[in-house]
Amino acid sequence: MASPLSPIIHFDHATFGFPGVIALEDISLEIQSGEFVGVIGPNGSGKTTLCRAVLGLMAPLKGHLKIFDCACDELRCHHRAKIGYLPQKGVVDRNFPVTVLETVMMGRYGALGLFARPSGNDRKIALDALAHVRMEGHRDSALGHLSGGQQQRVFIARALAQQPQVLLLDEPTTGLDITTQHNVVELVQHLHQELGLTVLLITHDINMIRSRVDRLVLLKTRLYAAGPAADVLKPEILSQVYGKDLVITERDTIIVEDYHHHH
Amino acid sequence: MLELFTYDFMQRSLLAAALVGGLCSVIGVFVVLRGLAFVGAGTAHAAFAGVALGFLMGWPPLLMAMIFGLATVWITGWVEEKGRMKLDVSIGILYTTTMALAILFIGLMKTYNAEVYGYLFGSVLSVTSEELRMIGGLSILVLGLISLFSKELYFIAFDQEMAEASGVPARRIFFLLLTLIALTVVVSLKTVGAILVFAMILIPASTAYQLTHSLTTLTWYAVLIGIACSVGGVLISAAWDIPSGPAIVLLSTAVFFLSVLLSRKRRRQPQIATV
Repeated sequence: MASPLSPIIHFDHATFGFPGVIALEDISLEIQSGEFVGVIGPNGSGKTTLCRAVLGLMAPLKGHLKIFDCACDELRCHHRAKIGYLPQKGVVDRNFPVTVLETVMMGRYGALGLFARPSGNDRKIALDALAHVRMEGHRDSALGHLSGGQQQRVFIARALAQQPQVLLLDEPTTGLDITTQHNVVELVQHLHQELGLTVLLITHDINMIRSRVDRLVLLKTRLYAAGPAADVLKPEILSQVYGKDLVITERDTIIVEDYHHHH
Repeated sequence: MLELFTYDFMQRSLLAAALVGGLCSVIGVFVVLRGLAFVGAGTAHAAFAGVALGFLMGWPPLLMAMIFGLATVWITGWVEEKGRMKLDVSIGILYTTTMALAILFIGLMKTYNAEVYGYLFGSVLSVTSEELRMIGGLSILVLGLISLFSKELYFIAFDQEMAEASGVPARRIFFLLLTLIALTVVVSLKTVGAILVFAMILIPASTAYQLTHSLTTLTWYAVLIGIACSVGGVLISAAWDIPSGPAIVLLSTAVFFLSVLLSRKRRRQPQIATV
């Protein structure tokens, strides 16, 4: 286990993509254990690539990425089990015939390893994870019958059932109504504080997370800024990334026109 | 009717049908959930090409079926993994190529060989004791592996990338699933035939899919439906003197449509209160 002072994720001049297509270039970034980091940037800025890299699903074309002191392309299954992952909504078939508890139990499978059968203790861990997201009353419900917000809670519980050190959330609020978006982000903040999890939250919604994160990381293929929200969300920095699509209101709300046009 | 059960051939047929019905249904659960229906069809036709080559060259037909079936699924899986081509495209190419090979091999045979066509259309009523032992042995192997890796197989069927990201060796498990599909097809060739084995893999699992929202329950329903339809189909075949393969598949299809009509999933579900 990484000590609290050592970086849990360490990008060192890392470039990601496919031959001829660069998705992220020359990224140098350290994420410390226990930090809550928000990753922002316009469409196609490489946010999801960053997510896949941290999951060990993409090796750098140049430079290095270390996770838990291990090169990301050498991540073993037991390393990956320490990263709880919430994929983008729409990636998973929400009508898959599976109950809430069966979904959360899947979070135990990576940590258990091959051949081992889930025990009563694994079931207890899954039920505790459901309690953390306040969904214990729905354990026998079909996943497909839940609302979008409830499904996100179940997937967060699945990630928690891994007993992870890092919680990695890829656009967890997309497609949810505004109240549910707030509830989901509040839940993530609560889990970060209560369980001491390192959280990496990838989002379009700058205003939703700016007051909750320790640091913001601003991407557009390259790393434009990383630091406390007040340092990153400066008009001169944001306009470099978002250009004319950026509007900052008198009440300091950041509106990115580009986002709404694309969705 | 009851005297049918006293005949050795009938006892062998019923046992073979129950084994194949149960086996196809279990693997069918993963095929349906992972969206590999076309792989089942392609593998069956590739395995038939192996049978035809076996008869042409005087080599063991089922061994050749296994080699062709495994080669097809492994090449398909490898091509998909490398991102060179979509799974349905690569299996489509291999499907038609192996079928062309099967027709070529049959054409090269000097005389008409009825046994080859037995593998195409299936004839569970003519299963020998030796074939039954082979079916039993391979069924135990496949079911044992499914049981051993069931949690990983369910996870990759749900979301392979999430399984990989969670620490499950998802790519290896995917290749295991492809291997098990090929073995199941080979086991089933003699009983239901290359054309209809695909239906046996797909229909019981799809029927169960209509009836439940739980993975575990889905698997048990699929097995029960698969065994019941296979055994029922053999009995109908013997009683009415009609070919066994079509009897099994048409009975399964009738049960499928019944399940669609009775499915609770088709009724509007009340949405549970939002967060």
